[in-house]
Amino acid sequence: MSSRGGKQKKGNVTSEQEEEEQPLQAVLVADSFNRRFFPISKDQPRALLPLGNVAMIDYTLEFLTSTGVQETFVFCCWMSNKIKDHLLKSKWCRPTSPNVVHIITSDLYRSLGDVLRDVDAKNLVRNDFILVYGDVVSNIDVSQALQEHRHRRKVDKNISVMTMVFKESSPGHKSRCEEDDVIVAMDSKSKRFSMGTDEFEIRHDLLDCHISICSPQVAELFTDNFDYQTRNDFVRGILVNEEILGNQIHLYVTQDGYGARVSNLQMYDSVSSDMVRRWVYPLTPEANFTDQQGQGCTHSRHNVYRGAEVSLGHGSQMEENVLIGRDTSIGANCHISNSVIGNNCTIGDNVVLDRAHMWNNVHISSNVEIHQSVVCDGAVVKEAVRLNKQCVLAYNVVIGPNLSLPEGTVVSMHHPEEEEEDDDDEFLSDDQEVGHSKDKTRQKAFNPAEVGPEGKGYIWKASMNDTEDEELAQCLWGLVLNPDPESDSESEASEESQDRTFQLEVLGTLQRGLEENIVCDNLVLEINSLKYAYNITLKEVMQILTRVVLEYPFQQQGTQLTTLQYTGSLLPLLKTWSPVFKNYIKRAQDHLDCLSAVEELFLEQDTHQTAMVKVLMKMYQLEILEEEAILKWFSTGATNDKSRQLRKNQGLQKFIQWLKEAEDESSEEGE
Amino acid sequence: MELQAVLMAAGGGSRMMDLTYNTPKPLLPVGNKPLIWYPLNLLERVGFEEVIVITTKEVQKMISTDPKVKLDVKMKLDLVCIQEDADMGTADALRHIQQKVKTDVLVVSCDLITDAALHEVVDLFRAHNATLSMLMSKAHEFTETVPGQKGKKKTGEQRDFVGVDGTGKRLLFMANEADLDEGVVIRKSIMRKHPRMHIKTGLVDAHLYCLKKSVVDFLADNKSISSIRGELVPYLVRKQFSKSTNSPKVIDETHQNLKKNDSNVNLEIQISSRDEELLHLTQERSCWNDHRGDMSDAYHGGRLRCYVHIMDEGICYRVNTLAAYIEANRLAPKLFDEPAVHPSAVVSERCLIGADSIIGASCQISDKTSIKRSTIGVSTTVREKVKVTNSIIMHGVTIEEGCNIQGSVICSNAVIGRGADIKYCLVGSAQRIEPDALPFETLLRPPCLRSTLTPTSTHRSTHTQCLFKQLNRNNTCLC
Repeated sequence: MSSRGGKQKKGNVTSEQEEEEQPLQAVLVADSFNRRFFPISKDQPRALLPLGNVAMIDYTLEFLTSTGVQETFVFCCWMSNKIKDHLLKSKWCRPTSPNVVHIITSDLYRSLGDVLRDVDAKNLVRNDFILVYGDVVSNIDVSQALQEHRHRRKVDKNISVMTMVFKESSPGHKSRCEEDDVIVAMDSKSKRFSMGTDEFEIRHDLLDCHISICSPQVAELFTDNFDYQTRNDFVRGILVNEEILGNQIHLYVTQDGYGARVSNLQMYDSVSSDMVRRWVYPLTPEANFTDQQGQGCTHSRHNVYRGAEVSLGHGSQMEENVLIGRDTSIGANCHISNSVIGNNCTIGDNVVLDRAHMWNNVHISSNVEIHQSVVCDGAVVKEAVRLNKQCVLAYNVVIGPNLSLPEGTVVSMHHPEEEEEDDDDEFLSDDQEVGHSKDKTRQKAFNPAEVGPEGKGYIWKASMNDTEDEELAQCLWGLVLNPDPESDSESEASEESQDRTFQLEVLGTLQRGLEENIVCDNLVLEINSLKYAYNITLKEVMQILTRVVLEYPFQQQGTQLTTLQYTGSLLPLLKTWSPVFKNYIKRAQDHLDCLSAVEELFLEQDTHQTAMVKVLMKMYQLEILEEEAILKWFSTGATNDKSRQLRKNQGLQKFIQWLKEAEDESSEEGE
Repeated sequence: MELQAVLMAAGGGSRMMDLTYNTPKPLLPVGNKPLIWYPLNLLERVGFEEVIVITTKEVQKMISTDPKVKLDVKMKLDLVCIQEDADMGTADALRHIQQKVKTDVLVVSCDLITDAALHEVVDLFRAHNATLSMLMSKAHEFTETVPGQKGKKKTGEQRDFVGVDGTGKRLLFMANEADLDEGVVIRKSIMRKHPRMHIKTGLVDAHLYCLKKSVVDFLADNKSISSIRGELVPYLVRKQFSKSTNSPKVIDETHQNLKKNDSNVNLEIQISSRDEELLHLTQERSCWNDHRGDMSDAYHGGRLRCYVHIMDEGICYRVNTLAAYIEANRLAPKLFDEPAVHPSAVVSERCLIGADSIIGASCQISDKTSIKRSTIGVSTTVREKVKVTNSIIMHGVTIEEGCNIQGSVICSNAVIGRGADIKYCLVGSAQRIEPDALPFETLLRPPCLRSTLTPTSTHRSTHTQCLFKQLNRNNTCLC
């Protein structure tokens, strides 16, 4: 540092030192601005949900503090009171805390963009800051990234506005969120997001930790672009305008360390199990980094953690990766593996828990089986209940007895319809809201078939099919995306339908032209404009036009026409529209294309094949088609049996014969 | 015999018609050796004893009769002629000699001048039991001034996007700018298997390929493919990740079916070699794989694999344009160590010849002549007081007294009149330059060529792209 300072002009040295003396700041957004964790987050904001018996926001704050952040602005919106209460009680608000936490609440934040605009308006940040969400669990040492970021800013005069922290993890890794499956194009040398250069790298093995180091300009840019809502908007905006504005975004890729955002329950499950398996060291359950009384626990073999006053019945086994909170009692002959059990829980006899996440004050009766499910505070599971994979029991739900919940069941004390009713108020404070809604829901009876005879709670349907894409992502457990079907035929389908609509439009135009007696020139103009609107090639225009005209009698009078009737109605039409045809059929190739369109149609309408000669004759007489083209088509155009058959038609043979003779005569005359 | 070498020497040199209108491209002199000598020498150096040379009747005749194009190689040349006017592509040519192909083949183009270590390419082929391995090199900027093109902006050839994996060897993706409608599209299934992909541009394909014999057999069944570079290679690269090749079982089944049913459009390429079973067993037992992050088997079970060796340094030129031709002439002397002045040349003692120049056999260089950074061809006569700098003089040229030639290319049998001052010009074959003429940056060639030159060459390249498109999307070519 000193050597670099020495190179600078003297005047800058002081300012630079000042810069470095300034405390490192962080912006923590304690709101997800989505409803992914509904209905759980109806009672508790996401940042306060326990992960390994510690609120998620504590992990984030611990991470920030350990990287040297000295001042953190926590922005809360949804249930801000609860978050505020939690923080005020925590060690972060003690006077000894190395990290000064400022809590800023507003009900008006609707997105990350709003928060950062407020940061700019209040002029909170003076220097580079770290931007994280309140649900990020990480032990990455970002000081290296911070240094790189500062260095870039010094060298390149503030061109780099953001450095995003990524962790290497191969596709298919458990901690990769399916929805957040990023593919990054970067310049391997300068670690910059880019596509333009001669050589770049496309990486699919990166995990977005949702930790970004931002320059103060980021807040300004959010103010300037009031349409930026999320960080994705911002990144896209910067990359698109890179050449104009000259701002760049860089990446920092780390190979070790742990960083993940708990963005859905799938991620909650994997982060929680990684936690218990000590991947986030030094943030481990027994470390009690929140420094709260009674939170301590002991760590023994196979990653089994026990809090204070835990009682374990005779014959119960804690196989591996089990965390049990304080004052929890477990009955006899239980089998527990890969699970987290909160404080003050009671568990009966013969209970099987696998990948269960039980929060505080949960009561589980005997003979219960729980697999990969979340049981929130105060829930009661009665005798002989079985929770299959990915079930969620929200706060204070009662289930059972003697019931098996199918996979993916979500039970909440809140009625699902209630959500729709107060859709607009979702960001308002909840206290009165909950009381109010409880009154309402009490009137609706619980369904014993769904939650058991003594059960309390409503099933939340995981029906997402009828909603928009944006809400599709609201599934608690996240999406399981199907691998992309390896076809590139998508565009073709749409093209086909384009042709179809074009054909209908042409038909309509001609029909109107006939009814209103529109001049052919105007028809041509209309068809031309349609051509551009549907992006149809000239060749296709002509083919479609031919088809429309030839099908016109069927269109108007039904398909039951006799051949005689058909030709009778078609021939005058041809005469009327011959200028339109002439406009499109000019080159030799056009003639052939037109003929093949005629042929195609008559191959389909094989009962009317005799009419074909008359049509061709008429077109020849109207000088729409030239004799050479017809002869050429006749001699060369046959590609399959059917068209060969068609050419054997007697009338057609005669017509061709006649044409040939006429040609000979005319050539003789010419001589 | 592990590999059979096949040399493609039937190309017309359509992108440098100025030079090739009466000397076929394989026989153009580069450093006083015919162009075809360089790939032949390359093959000879690594120990090939026999080469199949695909060429035209004209070239064959000239090789056997014309003493100036003596090839000077010890290898056995198996000359196969194809019709010139048939417009056969490289893949067509390969199909033509299918009967002769007994093992895997190494296909080389006749316009390749390189000092690359061939074993790198072949080792990739061997180590990974690859279907295709090829050679690429960083593109070189041409520094010399090209006659008639000074100041003109280089017609930017469309860039190729080449995607390789983290090791830089496995070829994952290939696309030409011309075929991309909006940006590069890469299938996610590829990314899932190879999460790190380096996309490189600014590479030249050396047109040197190792191909499995099964590919040649595949060509025989698929007559629609006519060019190796334009169609076959992209096809193979794409096929690596299409579904059916990923599951070996399916292949085996379809293999049976395909034998009977040749009309099947989705022909799979069979990679069956002598040791197939053993190799398969090794792969199964081995804990080695070419990716990380999951436990799936080596190569993800894909049996069609393409590799590329990318040269970082060294000489690698494809002599297919005038600029490349001039550059190659400048660098060619570095590739072989022979005396700069041929012993049979008669060089006056009172003349100045730079160390970076080459004087061909039976030349006559008279007094007070200065030759710098130039190549003088066989049986050329240079009279007194001539100054030649940065130029290429081909065979049998006569340069009269007092000429000044700078940055030019003088084709065979031209006669330069007394006192002419030629700067940055191309003098066509057997042209006569009047005494005291002062051409500057012009192409002096027979009148018949003048009008047709550029259009044909550009059309040809765009047309191949169209064919390529057709193959991709079944669109019709609008050329």
